[in-house]
Amino acid sequence: MFCDMNFADYCIWLKAAHVAAALLFVGGVVATSLTLALLPTMPGDSAPFVTGMRRYDRWVTVPAIIVVWLFGTGLAVSGAWFGQGWLSAKLGFVVLLSGLHGVQSGRLRRIEAGASPAMSRSLPFVLFAAIAIAVLAVAKP
Amino acid sequence: MKNELKINVSLLGQLKLASIIEAATLALLVCVAVPLKHLWDWPIGVRAMGPVHGLAFIFYGWALLQTAGAGIWQRHHIALLAASAFVPFAGLLASRYIRRRIEALDRECSAT
Repeated sequence: MFCDMNFADYCIWLKAAHVAAALLFVGGVVATSLTLALLPTMPGDSAPFVTGMRRYDRWVTVPAIIVVWLFGTGLAVSGAWFGQGWLSAKLGFVVLLSGLHGVQSGRLRRIEAGASPAMSRSLPFVLFAAIAIAVLAVAKP
Repeated sequence: MKNELKINVSLLGQLKLASIIEAATLALLVCVAVPLKHLWDWPIGVRAMGPVHGLAFIFYGWALLQTAGAGIWQRHHIALLAASAFVPFAGLLASRYIRRRIEALDRECSAT
């Protein structure tokens, strides 16, 4: 509603920040998926790499998720989009990606603490979800 | 081992905070905002509290899955803790349950 009227300029910046945060979020989930998929095959000591990934997750991906959810909710409320099919489908994918990130983040912490890494095959889903979210957000079918 | 216990305690502390926030926002939504909408025809409370509780619910689910990924809970614990998010005030019981787990891990940590 007010996105289309008085606060159009403000909403563009909100959207820009939301999209930037979404890019960082998906990038972080892709990186963690790749890390978890390849860790069992890595020769030598992978502890410094896992620590680096954990730090990136903590300081970049987690804040990006927070911004995605806060600004996304703000945009959906201001645009009165809740209840529309495209947003419900997009929300479903974002909830699944956020949940996957939660599991991955917990696994990374566990591996950093010394547990042995288990094989993870989440990357195809992450890539499919990222494409679906982009299509749903832009085309609003 | 001690490092893993410390990480688990920090993850559980975050989950406890999330469960309290989730329970509080659900209680406000169900006990205050919804009656105000239906009995006094004042929908602004639901319009404001709905998204706030939605965000709190997502935070709780994310924190729960993080502890699941860290291997802290068995599956039936995860199912119970997830179910508590749907019942008003059950989140408070969940936070007590999580606190007890934190205390058990603290004892284990100081014993090692």
